[in-house]
Amino acid sequence: MSNTDYLLIFIQFIVAGGFVTLVLFVTHFLGPKRKTSDKLETFECGIESQGNARLPFSIKYFLTAILFVLFDVEVIFLYPWAVNFKEFSSTNMSGFISMSIFMGLLLLGFIYIIKKGALKWE
Amino acid sequence: MNSEFLILMKQEMGVTLILFILLFLKIWDGIKENGILLHLINVLLLLNFLLGFVLNQNGELFNGMFATNSLRVMEKSVLNLGTLIISLQAYDYLKSHKHLLEFFMLLLSTLLGMFFMISSNNLLMFYLGIELSSIPLAAMANFDMDKIKSSEAAVKMILSSAFASALMLFGISFLYGTSGTLNFQELVSLITGSPLQVFALLLVFSGFAFKLSAVPFHLWTADVYEGAPVAVTSYLSVISKAAIVFVTLSSLAPLFSHLNEMWYHLLFVTIILTITLGNIFAIRQDNIKRFLAFSSISQVGFILLGISSGTATGATSAIYFLVVYIFSNLGAFGVIALLSSQTGKENISDLKGFYQTNPLMGWVLAISLFSLGGIPPTAGFFGKMFLVTAGAAKGNYVLITIAALNMVISLYYYLRVVKAIFMDKNETPVEPLRGSLSLRLALLICMIGVVGTGFAGGFFEHIYQLAAK
Repeated sequence: MSNTDYLLIFIQFIVAGGFVTLVLFVTHFLGPKRKTSDKLETFECGIESQGNARLPFSIKYFLTAILFVLFDVEVIFLYPWAVNFKEFSSTNMSGFISMSIFMGLLLLGFIYIIKKGALKWE
Repeated sequence: MNSEFLILMKQEMGVTLILFILLFLKIWDGIKENGILLHLINVLLLLNFLLGFVLNQNGELFNGMFATNSLRVMEKSVLNLGTLIISLQAYDYLKSHKHLLEFFMLLLSTLLGMFFMISSNNLLMFYLGIELSSIPLAAMANFDMDKIKSSEAAVKMILSSAFASALMLFGISFLYGTSGTLNFQELVSLITGSPLQVFALLLVFSGFAFKLSAVPFHLWTADVYEGAPVAVTSYLSVISKAAIVFVTLSSLAPLFSHLNEMWYHLLFVTIILTITLGNIFAIRQDNIKRFLAFSSISQVGFILLGISSGTATGATSAIYFLVVYIFSNLGAFGVIALLSSQTGKENISDLKGFYQTNPLMGWVLAISLFSLGGIPPTAGFFGKMFLVTAGAAKGNYVLITIAALNMVISLYYYLRVVKAIFMDKNETPVEPLRGSLSLRLALLICMIGVVGTGFAGGFFEHIYQLAAK
């Protein structure tokens, strides 16, 4: 493929982008502008907007889900390790030791989570 | 085999060990005093810094995924020293913070990510490193938990760095698609300049420019710097930037060495935009953190100018400048951290008459700003001089002229702050600030660095010896 073949794709990009910009500009200049106070209000499904958008919400479900993903991934690491365990242990203990370090670090993290009360639902 | 493994990864192992200790301390919950914990962390960081001077060895690990040499060890030591200074400076801020240990766990995770990034010899390893170094940073930006601005900073940071990562991954996938390998040494000969690879260069470079906050990818910088706590801001502006520059020098620039013309043109445009826009926006700022954000953008432009020469001298001058930049920027941030933690003020107009009440702190801030501006007795002058000389080697005088003009503009806004400190009259200047011993020690290190690096002529030679290998 030579360089000129890509030129066509490039032209397509230009046309696509150019069309959008052109239409935006043209509507901006052609359309009449009547700004009333009702029009400038925040639109919220036709209901009058009230209160602040920044409300605290419960993250319990999110926290459980993300911790599940974390330990789920850890188990994925265990599978290939378990399959190759025989070859690891036949030469020396390094395969076992590195996995123990890995599991130890995760275990510490797990204890941290429990101590912080991240898994308490009530 | 195991001892070699430990020696080659000594600094990474050191940081991991510190992380282990901190996690253990958190679970054990035996030391209630934050002050003692902070001193302990500083001692551990100091030990890890000293580890960089012993048992240096070149080599590869994990089937060529990880490679290290004396230059990389030195770069990691520089980052480690910077983190130590920031940790010393954050004493007042963290002394009463209830999530002290989490703060350092996140901080050291990012440091570990940067170490792996610097030592990466494979695009996959590099990507893992860059992610590890950017995701915890967003959590750290949110460490003033009751401030809306802080959460705004965190959200902006995580979104923009996710976007940057996506661009970079897209580029990496093109590189893999056209060459079939991710190893740096194998890639160098396989990147020959086919259109897809040029596109990949553009994408990977954009990702880097995002992390470096080079124009036109700088828009997140000012808001994140303003919202984040001062300790995190200084970490962002110094350490994470230095890490990315180190990687650019050791991996990205050699990787695309066959596309050097394209690479130069890219840098040319980026440098001009970065230096000029960074300067113009810095003039208008009143918040010191925003001001330093834009000034750091324009400093990145100068670093890129050194990199653009593509020679060992250019690489040396960039590394040298970064060391100086770490000292001078942290000197400025140290004073601002003190000001912000004791009075809550963060504006340049609050600094009026600062010298009347805080003569010593006034001088520290002024010397740091002199060094950032590049005024002779400080090391910043030598740093800028080496960078511009290296950049001039290509004979592109348009670029050098613009850089030189911008240096004059930058003097205007640095001296504006100095004028506020020394000359402006103020009826109610800031009351005398009482910094902790840690903070004063950190500022002393910075001042020795700012003045000493310039006069220690052997230092540049030393880096050159390492970089030329």
